[in-house]
Amino acid sequence: MIPLRVKVEANAEQPFVVRLRSFEANGRQREPEQLNPFEVSLERADPEGADYTGEGGPIRVLGIDPSELDGDVLLVNPRRGTADRLIRSTSSHNTFLVTERCDQVCVMCSQPPKKHHVDLFPYFETAALLAPEGATIGISGGEPTLFKEQLFAFLKRVLAARPDLSFHILTNGQHFEEDDWQTMAGLDQSRIVWGVPLYSHDPAIHDQVVGKPGAQEKLLENLAFLCRVGAAIELRTVLMQPNAPGLPGLARFITTMLPFVQTWAIMQTENIGYGRMNWKTLFYDSSQGFDVVGRAIDFVRSRGIDARLYNFPLCTVPEAYRRLAPATISDWKRAYREECEGCSLKAECGGFFEWHPRDHGYGRLGAVQ
Amino acid sequence: MKVWPLKFREMSDGSMLFADDAGGFFKAGEGFLDRYATDNLSAADRMFLKEGSHGFEREHDLPWTSFAYRWTRRQSRPRKMNYVILVPTLRCNLACGYCQVSRAPEKARGFDWSDETLGGVLSFLNGLEGPDIKIEFQGGEPLLRVDLLEAVRDFCREKFSQSQFVVCTNLQRLDARAWAFLDADDTFISTSLDGDRQTHERQRTHDGAVTDAFFRNLGAAVARYSEGKISALPTVDVANPPNFDVLLDSYERYGIRSVYLRPINHQGFARKLHQGDEILARWNRLHSEFIDLLIARNHRTGRFMEEYYFSQCLKRVLRFDADNHVDIRNPNFFAADYVVIDHDGLFYPTDEARMLSRIGRIDLSIGDVATGIDRAKVDVLNSGAFNHFDPDCIHCAYQPFCGTDVVDDISRYGRVDIPRPDTWFCGRHLALFDKVFEVLYRKDEPARASLAAWLGVVAWDDGMAPVHS
Repeated sequence: MIPLRVKVEANAEQPFVVRLRSFEANGRQREPEQLNPFEVSLERADPEGADYTGEGGPIRVLGIDPSELDGDVLLVNPRRGTADRLIRSTSSHNTFLVTERCDQVCVMCSQPPKKHHVDLFPYFETAALLAPEGATIGISGGEPTLFKEQLFAFLKRVLAARPDLSFHILTNGQHFEEDDWQTMAGLDQSRIVWGVPLYSHDPAIHDQVVGKPGAQEKLLENLAFLCRVGAAIELRTVLMQPNAPGLPGLARFITTMLPFVQTWAIMQTENIGYGRMNWKTLFYDSSQGFDVVGRAIDFVRSRGIDARLYNFPLCTVPEAYRRLAPATISDWKRAYREECEGCSLKAECGGFFEWHPRDHGYGRLGAVQ
Repeated sequence: MKVWPLKFREMSDGSMLFADDAGGFFKAGEGFLDRYATDNLSAADRMFLKEGSHGFEREHDLPWTSFAYRWTRRQSRPRKMNYVILVPTLRCNLACGYCQVSRAPEKARGFDWSDETLGGVLSFLNGLEGPDIKIEFQGGEPLLRVDLLEAVRDFCREKFSQSQFVVCTNLQRLDARAWAFLDADDTFISTSLDGDRQTHERQRTHDGAVTDAFFRNLGAAVARYSEGKISALPTVDVANPPNFDVLLDSYERYGIRSVYLRPINHQGFARKLHQGDEILARWNRLHSEFIDLLIARNHRTGRFMEEYYFSQCLKRVLRFDADNHVDIRNPNFFAADYVVIDHDGLFYPTDEARMLSRIGRIDLSIGDVATGIDRAKVDVLNSGAFNHFDPDCIHCAYQPFCGTDVVDDISRYGRVDIPRPDTWFCGRHLALFDKVFEVLYRKDEPARASLAAWLGVVAWDDGMAPVHS
């Protein structure tokens, strides 16, 4: 697994954001004037650690090969002696976790909410400005729009300062209001995708999944709002035992009520957090019961609406639908199993969640020849 | 709930098809029609209409927004000129009986671009904003002037970041330079193949040796290039149609799975031909039989072929974004995203307008490369280029899927204000959409399999075409 947090030693009191550079690693001469105030460059490395200096430093990074960190943007917490890799320069899966608070308690939540909140937006803004050219940055939580004032201000400034950057923002869609119209319409929506979950066209099922009465009604109202401000929406439906039978009905609902979504993503469950606790009553074995999934996908696609399968190992998907299953499991969560040995699709496949259970998963899987 | 206005039409099985202005449709019985017309909707009716987004509670709610979105997306909104049809020469080395373009003999003079015209064409292309361009070389036989084609292609490759070229050629005579031109990956071939050898020779080549040359070149091109490089379309004489089974075999043999069946066009020299009475009804019958034959054939062979225009109409029914075909979209504003430049440098809004002007019936040219596009004239044509307010179309269940064809109306009737139901365009499209809905509601496996293939999905099932029982 790719580590998202590394050990550091830094001589500072307050947390700070810094970008690591390894000029030597690329055979380049170090030229101090190339460093901006938020950068440090690699001075020397030994088996235990690597020393960086610059206006943002000095810092010593322990236990990881510095060649893996070149260009990474770290949020350094000197007191704890740790640093979060806010942006890994070689990855397309960089996400800012802006809060762990949430007003919903979804039965399969992979990151159960916590009450405690620390506002890290100033650090995220600095980090975003240091992101590699053309990057897409994920914003996640908890529920990011619980802090929508800060979020909107952050987006407005970063989008203006870095015309090359895009955002992918996960939100439960509960907190937009008509009063946000000006602010939302003022953001460059062509560079933002809003990932919004809808679990069922039946309000009772949706509300039960998210643990909040009235959630679906508010969500549908706000999906209309997002349409009217020109937002690009990735509608996300985690496939589970409670909502799987209703998937074709949800597909019809999307074609009539939500034709404006950019993509409908049907997603497999993660066995972590509440998802692990409730696994037996949640996990839907799509390798055995793909029928409802296939019908739902064909329905919306026949109407010209894009539909995709996220987090589905390719061997569990009938061949005709595999082209719709991109490798979406983030690189740092991804694992392949013994069964994957010799599989001809491994290069295109997102594999399994690292924590996918060995014995309670798909009935049918295995290397595709 | 306020219900959006529904229009209806009787289907071939006696039930009723209903559609709203945003293209939402369903099938229901006459009972529903009575209740709808007399304002006596039942609770079940209301529930069905609500679920299908055929009504709304208040402005800006989700059903209202989704309806507005679907309606808006169905309006064709070409934003920039990126498709230019060029006629570098009117000369041709064939003399097809139905020639649609009033071609000139191969040895004639004064039917090719002059140096000034070429300069004007390049300067017009230079004024386009890009970044992409598609150029279609028409004729005459454009490969008689490969030098002009090369000049245009070289210029476009330099100017635009993405460019694509289609050569509409009869594939009769290809020298090394012509082959070299066609070899490029950004260059595609469109040709005519009127079905079996006999039909092709009767309608186009008139001579065994010439026919041989065509099929030899077609075979060589198919062997030389990958699938998708070559497209072809058959021109069908309604009075003497080819054997469609043989036609499909012939297309499949050459790796072409999409067939755009076209009736002999009522323009150019073609209009002088007598095609018999009731030509429209006969054409519609032929086309409908062709679709049935395709469905059965696809089921039999497991190799799916399509009739291009039928697939296009099918997509226009189901999708709100299928307006990439210039023959059917609404509005269909002229000289917006594509334009034709003739051998003499004159602009025309469509190839049909060029042919119509050529025979001297009316001047539909809209400027020339020296002076630019005549926007005042384009505006006059555009005033009839949409069906939204047509007194007949507004009552038609197919209005959201359909379009208009001002140039065809002028060509056939000399005016644009003929009642819709009396026009060829309307008669042809009513029949086409009748067929589309017939196939959409068929329950047999062959029809479902073809529907899925034509729509690009894995499977089609009953639940995908809504029925209110």
